[in-house]
Amino acid sequence: MLELLLQQAVNGLTQGMAYALVALGLTMIFGVLHIINFSHGELYMLGGLMAVVATTMLGLPYGLALVLAVVAVVAIAALVDLVAVRPVLPTKDGPSTVLLSTFAVSLLLHQSVLSTWGPNPSRVEGLAGSLSLGPIVITNHRLLVLVSGVVILLAIEYVLRRTLVGRRIRAVAQSEFAAQVVGIDVARIRTLTFLGAAAIAAIAGALIAPVSLFTPSMGQHAIITAFVVVVIGGMGNATGAVVCGLLLGLLEALASAFMPQDMGTAVIYALLLIFLLIRPQGLFAGRAR
Amino acid sequence: MRRILIVMALALAVAAPFLLAGQSYYSGLLAYAAVLAIFGLSINLTVGYLGLISFGHAAFFGLGAYVAGLAIVNFGVNYWVTLLFAPIPAALLGALVGFASVRLGGAYFAIATLTTAEILRLVVSNWIDLTRGPLGLIVRRPRVETLESLGLVFHQYYLLATLLGLGLAVLIVHRLLESPTGRSWKVIRESNALAESIGIPTMRQRVMAIALSGGLAGFAGVLFIPRTLVLTPDLFNPMLSATGLLIAILGGKGTLIGPLLGGAIFAALPETLRFVDEYRIAIFALILLAVIRIQPAGLAPLFHLTRPFRTPGAPAKGGEIAFEPSPRLVVTDLTKRFGGLTAVDNVSMTIEPGELVGIIGPNGAGKTTCLSLISGFTPPTAGEIRYGERKVTGDSPSSLVNEGLARTFQQAALCGSQTVFENVLAATSCPEPASLLSSVLRGPGWRAREARRVRRAWECLAFVGLTERAALEAGSLPYGEQKMLAIAVSLATQPRLLMLDEPAAGLNHTEANRLADLLRSLRQRGLTIVLVDHNLRMMMALCDRIIVLDRGRLIAQGTPAEIQADKAVIAAYLGGYTAEEAQNA
Repeated sequence: MLELLLQQAVNGLTQGMAYALVALGLTMIFGVLHIINFSHGELYMLGGLMAVVATTMLGLPYGLALVLAVVAVVAIAALVDLVAVRPVLPTKDGPSTVLLSTFAVSLLLHQSVLSTWGPNPSRVEGLAGSLSLGPIVITNHRLLVLVSGVVILLAIEYVLRRTLVGRRIRAVAQSEFAAQVVGIDVARIRTLTFLGAAAIAAIAGALIAPVSLFTPSMGQHAIITAFVVVVIGGMGNATGAVVCGLLLGLLEALASAFMPQDMGTAVIYALLLIFLLIRPQGLFAGRAR
Repeated sequence: MRRILIVMALALAVAAPFLLAGQSYYSGLLAYAAVLAIFGLSINLTVGYLGLISFGHAAFFGLGAYVAGLAIVNFGVNYWVTLLFAPIPAALLGALVGFASVRLGGAYFAIATLTTAEILRLVVSNWIDLTRGPLGLIVRRPRVETLESLGLVFHQYYLLATLLGLGLAVLIVHRLLESPTGRSWKVIRESNALAESIGIPTMRQRVMAIALSGGLAGFAGVLFIPRTLVLTPDLFNPMLSATGLLIAILGGKGTLIGPLLGGAIFAALPETLRFVDEYRIAIFALILLAVIRIQPAGLAPLFHLTRPFRTPGAPAKGGEIAFEPSPRLVVTDLTKRFGGLTAVDNVSMTIEPGELVGIIGPNGAGKTTCLSLISGFTPPTAGEIRYGERKVTGDSPSSLVNEGLARTFQQAALCGSQTVFENVLAATSCPEPASLLSSVLRGPGWRAREARRVRRAWECLAFVGLTERAALEAGSLPYGEQKMLAIAVSLATQPRLLMLDEPAAGLNHTEANRLADLLRSLRQRGLTIVLVDHNLRMMMALCDRIIVLDRGRLIAQGTPAEIQADKAVIAAYLGGYTAEEAQNA
């Protein structure tokens, strides 16, 4: 039993890393643009789709598929930004209208893929081989997901803290007005953040596809889970998003040992309502900012 | 013109079941349009009137349908009876989701509804013992023998029922919109703080409106049953929520006719789009995107189908406004810290009934913070506020206004796109409230109170001299008149103690004199007034007593003459620090 739980925990952490990356992008966009990008989950799904297309249809090696996924998804995200975010944001009721327009985009992306690709799951060949740690087996691909996840998180931390672009992003997040006063091109920083978050989502999608199969509906599940993560972690709180993403992945995997998978999902979704009711500021809101 | 259109629509609706006697296909389509219109109407309540986007109204629609379906299948309840009770759980769910999410802001409501719909879909799909899961719950066609013996066919009286349901829903929403409830929705949409300041309990009003919206969606769900006859988890599908949202937005946010237009379009659209079946929803998404970008107000304004507000006639004989005496307001050791900054530091004061008290002090002295603390907009760090016998520390602003403790804002807060009269009328529901139910039923008692509300609004407008401006948009008034209007709005709440935050700021000399006359006249009528302003000449001439704040502390109080002679006050205003104080400062 313990072994099963440990095995599930390792699997859950892998999935949790994907949730963490998607939620991190969502919360970054919220922090800088003050909008909720509803289409973010579909960008993650498209990352997975690109991995399928590149490996099974084009026969490319997996490493190249990752690169292709990022490039393609960033290009699509640029289009989304151009059509549904950038021109809508300055209008009356901007942020809530962006919520609507990105909702429309998410429907469009999801339905287009569903209608052309079909609802069935597709396999993706990731890294082969596996590693045994006593009774627990961890595939090399899961290891890759975990390691790349950590590397990406460290890279984001480095960019935000140590580079000029990162300082500009943080300046815009704190006060757009003040950022403008000191000569920062706010619109450019917004777009940059949006595309950066899209790239992270694409990598997450392409990384997780070999683990949990690709389906066109993986984006819908991911966006709701990311919302749960972001609400529990505190809206706009990056650390909260990462920690809660990993925790939820873990929880989902452990729950699936005790109940049907769908019910586990329902329980996790219900956490959102519970947190909204009893601790709306999130778990990590202790420190005032 | 509009009236003729309504009569024609009603006549057509009554005749439709008979005109379509042999046409069960078109009759079914029309019934479906009516169901969708009710659904769109319910979403429009939150999206259009409250400004809260919903991505999961299918949760309420599906819940209504499933509650009815389960009652029919398991307990043999007659379908037509379920229409009466099956929407109730949906309304309760609406209240719960609304309560959980709206205090955090609009986006959370969208997420919470979406998540709720997904939870219900997952539960219904997997609780096979109860719902038969994806196989679906099968409901028999609810035939009515009596009607059939009269020669009516099922599709005829089903259509009649849906049209009746739609008529009922439109009537309810229409009556609510032109009642204190609907007026409060519009103010809440404009600004939460403004709504609280005129005595509207914003949280309760919002939760009630969302519950109503949930109930209506549930009602639409129950009405949908005879068309589908098989209830599957697809009822909770995000697609259905998206369709409803699109109906409300395409038709026209915040209009009554919009959802009707949208409902008709979306009943017919899938039929015309059959050749691109698989891409239908993608096309919906494109339409939604196009509407947001090109015509965000939807179709209704294009056809000039919305009616501007009609100002009711002024009463022949202008009444006089009078005020009830205020109890004593006692503030003890009030303190407010923002991080390291102490904005208000151990301030104690008493406002006696009938007084006109001025609060003055240099910029940053904590005058406005003091008002915000007393009026409940900012929670104090420490201290106590008593109004009469009651301790009111920590009460919501709206409940204080209902006690008679009202305030105005430095920047005149108004609903700029509504008329001057509407602005005042919205505030009259504080002294003359109306319940949701009474506003729908509109009995003689309600009508008498509505007449009193209208009269009071006219009286307040007349008092500040804006009668002539009643039908203009509030946002189009010049600055000075907007400030006067803001005072009229506060007066409409029938305050006993009114706190005015810099009413003279930005007024020219003539306007300031008129304001002073107005305040004197209010005081003669028994209103207790606390006045914060920088116009010292006016303050000295007007006030019975003056309180001086400096750097958060109360440094002096007394008659204008005493204050003018006070050393500490002169020091605070002219910066006459001693060397020691300068170092500490």
